[in-house]
Amino acid sequence: MRKSNPLLMTLFWLLLSIATLFPIYWLFVISVKPAVDLFTAPSVILDSFYWNNYAKVLTDDTLRRYMLNSVIISSGNAVLVTVLAFMACYALSRYDLAGKENIFFWTITNRMAPAAVFLLPFFLLFTQVFAIGDFRLYDTRIGMILLYCTFNLPFAIWTLRPTIDAIPRELDEAATVDGASSWQVITEIVFPLARPGLAVTLILTWVFAWNEFLLAATLTSFNARTITTGLSEYVTTTGTEWGTMASIAIITLIPAIVVFAVVQRHIVAGLTFGAVKE
Amino acid sequence: MGSNRTGWLLLTPTLVILGVFGILPFIYVLWVAFHQWNAFGANPYMIYNGADNFRRLVFDTEFLESIWFTFQFGFFAVVSEIVLGYFLAQFLMRDFPGKAVFRTLHTLPLIVAPIVVGSVWRLMMTPSIGIIPYFLDAWFGYQLNIGSNAGAAFVVTVIMDIWHWTPLVTLTLLAAIVALPKDPFEQAQIDGANRWQIFWHITLPMIRPAILATVFIRLMDALRTVDEIWMLTGGGPGSATRYIGLHIWKVVFPKTDYGYGSAISVIVLYLTLVLCWLLYVGLVAPRNGRRT
Amino acid sequence: MNMRLRMGMVALVAGLMASTAPAFADFWSDAGAKFKGVTLHGVTESTPPSNYIKDVLAPEFEEKTGIKVEIETTSWDQMYDKAIKDMEAKTGIYDMIYIEQDIVYAYLARNFLVDVTQSLKDDPSLKAPGFDESHFTTFANYFRGENGDLFGVPMEAFIKIYLYRKDLFEDPKIQEAFKAKTGKDLAPAKTHEDYTQIAEFFTEYGKENGLDLWGTTAQAHTGHPASWYEYVESVAPTFGVYNWGINAEKNYAATVENGGSMNSDEAKAALKYWLHLRDIAPPESAASTWTEVASTFAAGRAAQGLVYGENAAWIASDAEKSKVVDKVGVALPPVSDGVMADAESGKGYIGYYDGGAFGLPVTSKNRDAALLFLQYIGQDSVQSGWAVAAPRITNTATYDDPAVKEMDARLGGYYTMLKDEGKLFAGAPPFPFHAQVREVCASIFYKILTGQIGPDEGLDQMAQATEKELTNLGYRK
Repeated sequence: MRKSNPLLMTLFWLLLSIATLFPIYWLFVISVKPAVDLFTAPSVILDSFYWNNYAKVLTDDTLRRYMLNSVIISSGNAVLVTVLAFMACYALSRYDLAGKENIFFWTITNRMAPAAVFLLPFFLLFTQVFAIGDFRLYDTRIGMILLYCTFNLPFAIWTLRPTIDAIPRELDEAATVDGASSWQVITEIVFPLARPGLAVTLILTWVFAWNEFLLAATLTSFNARTITTGLSEYVTTTGTEWGTMASIAIITLIPAIVVFAVVQRHIVAGLTFGAVKE
Repeated sequence: MGSNRTGWLLLTPTLVILGVFGILPFIYVLWVAFHQWNAFGANPYMIYNGADNFRRLVFDTEFLESIWFTFQFGFFAVVSEIVLGYFLAQFLMRDFPGKAVFRTLHTLPLIVAPIVVGSVWRLMMTPSIGIIPYFLDAWFGYQLNIGSNAGAAFVVTVIMDIWHWTPLVTLTLLAAIVALPKDPFEQAQIDGANRWQIFWHITLPMIRPAILATVFIRLMDALRTVDEIWMLTGGGPGSATRYIGLHIWKVVFPKTDYGYGSAISVIVLYLTLVLCWLLYVGLVAPRNGRRT
Repeated sequence: MNMRLRMGMVALVAGLMASTAPAFADFWSDAGAKFKGVTLHGVTESTPPSNYIKDVLAPEFEEKTGIKVEIETTSWDQMYDKAIKDMEAKTGIYDMIYIEQDIVYAYLARNFLVDVTQSLKDDPSLKAPGFDESHFTTFANYFRGENGDLFGVPMEAFIKIYLYRKDLFEDPKIQEAFKAKTGKDLAPAKTHEDYTQIAEFFTEYGKENGLDLWGTTAQAHTGHPASWYEYVESVAPTFGVYNWGINAEKNYAATVENGGSMNSDEAKAALKYWLHLRDIAPPESAASTWTEVASTFAAGRAAQGLVYGENAAWIASDAEKSKVVDKVGVALPPVSDGVMADAESGKGYIGYYDGGAFGLPVTSKNRDAALLFLQYIGQDSVQSGWAVAAPRITNTATYDDPAVKEMDARLGGYYTMLKDEGKLFAGAPPFPFHAQVREVCASIFYKILTGQIGPDEGLDQMAQATEKELTNLGYRK
């Protein structure tokens, strides 16, 4: 199956990457051009750099706060979702629970909801139902972490389930026979084998939380506002501040790349595991 | 192994969270769907109107048009992404120089927020001065104008979606392929099966659940897309890219027509559900004997 | 200098001025003492005038009164959605909200807003000495209720003007060519025919000379209500079709049969006039909202066009964003016969007077403290710095300020026009169903723009759809 020339492969990916990276490169180009040059005949090569957008963005405390919120909310949500989904998938895969396939299918239906209409009940839930004394879920990080479960948990359960199903039951059974507790089976047998799937789930749920816009825009205002919603502040009726928006977007790529690089190592770990037996 | 109590215990947090944040709001939306309610109507309060909203839907050409466009958008985008993503995932199973770097580069589009993606593509596609129309015109004499050419606008939204979300498919399928046991493949190779046979009889059936999960996720997300399209075309030209997520958004936000918007959402939810259920039952359930 | 940097500088200057002029400082600190520990929350769109409130006025107010102010700036749709949800659900999250002129009638109809005039009468201890309602420009009238009381403190106001390239219009070679071709002298158009002729001339001129130049802008986005707005607010009125062609006295009729004028002959002529301009405008017009129209003009791609005042200001003065700094002139939009007379007598108007105010939702839990803040931003003394940082004027005291006068010269007399001819322009019609009807009309309008339906037929459909929607909403009995 793998007789193709490795160099040909490299060439293919090189071309693909150029296509993939072009819009991101263009984002960068926008971020280092003064607004006056955006509406003129474009050139692919940059001849000069204009750093004012970055100077402005990097000294803005509000944006730093938004960024921190985004990191906390997406990381918190990704970890929570991955753990819960791992537990749920293990239960669905290994136990004979009544109606479990219906439950499995039901979980995904939570992702189907068109967000716009559900904003109103979410808003009421956050401001009136979950309001104890002065505390409201509205505009809190924990509120967003919990809320993002509605679309991330279904996703995580559905992507993890095949991974966990594919781990041979004989392995857990053998361990149980050897006297391992359920906890030990989960942590010592299933978890290491599910690592590539878990890593992918973690990354992608993180991405969804990081990018989410409509819910965060409606349900946060000052304290828990995320960078994605902060970006929309630059689209105004007196003109879109393309340059500022682009420079923020470029800066937000940095934490995301870090998270990706760290977590992707575990997919690599999985790959080696698979490749050993090849 | 283990008692079912442990199983339920493991499942409980998920059920609680989805119950509170999934079922409660749904019940609310369903309730609103049976009311006439526009915050700026002559009577701004909820008035029960039975199934009127649903009756109105059936004849609402704007809604039906939107569903049809959305379906086309979802179909082209998701099919392309799955095919492309599958091959890329397979390619990433091989060894070649620079693989780790390329894999990371490939996933970069995922971390650009949709609202930014929409903005960049809008600037790239601005008729006559965006970089893409500019060079298409200079090199091929083709005038790309997503403001006046409905077909072109549709294609651009599909390409944008493919650009943005194929990496997601690649990653999920990669995870599934990595987790495959190796024995069947070795056996097949010993038996002299060719590539196509291996793909059709071994790989495909084994990763079918993962493919289905990916199709579901992508399909649902494509049906819900708002931010990117809103930034890129605003739903135009005409209603050519006014996909259902954006359509609902326009009914609920600017028009504040909560009653009708809720009815549309309920129907869309129902249609998505049916579509996914058919795919699910047709593709996965029989094979695994997973039907309850 | 870009807006934000400039605002920072102004903040510095304003801060210095504040410390040297403690005339009313006592009032603010005394009044603020009652509200120790209160934090006010406001929501507004992130435009330069609002950012000035957030970055300059709010911190100043905080320092003087000890009342904390948090202003959330967000996008236009989000701002409305959040304010409306808050007031509808009575959650009391916001103490101040931005009210654009076009939505004030909807808010008033729902009794969402606190009567500022009355509240200050009820509790004179809250009345700030530097705040006087009568100093506002006539634009404030849009925020008065039926009783004449103020329900919002105006904070920005602009008119959509006819912007033209002075350098091109005054170029002798171009003047000669224009004369040769049309037999007329090249000057800003007064009539639609002249405007069309000039537009056609420049588009051809651009083509002949291989320039990226067209004769007019067109805000003709095929999927964004900006296009419909340009037609109903800036084009149709100049043909004598006012208030979107909806006749409030005739049971909100829109069709000609029922007494409206949305599909009248004038409306149809206006649309065809504008569609022709769209066809000779730069190709990006089909994807242009107000943002792109301004960018097109700023890039020097159009010889003339209708441009919102807030954008006209930076096009004329900000070299970081514009290539035509100091090269533009302002004029009144071209009109049909009789329209100017209508406008002068108050029967009609020749263009759009846009802007907004800060209001106080009745659901606010810090009403009194918020009243103080509203007065703070309405004072005469804060206006000129604000007008320089963001080109808006809502208080008559602003016009005579030297800094504003200097700015006026750079803007080609825009402020003078706002002062003297502002009365010829009008805001959105007093309908409580603004966005609802807009959405209905706009989706048909987009189809006219793409050519899916003809302009006459499209306007007929729009008028009918409008009546149907108004019946649905319960306004049309």
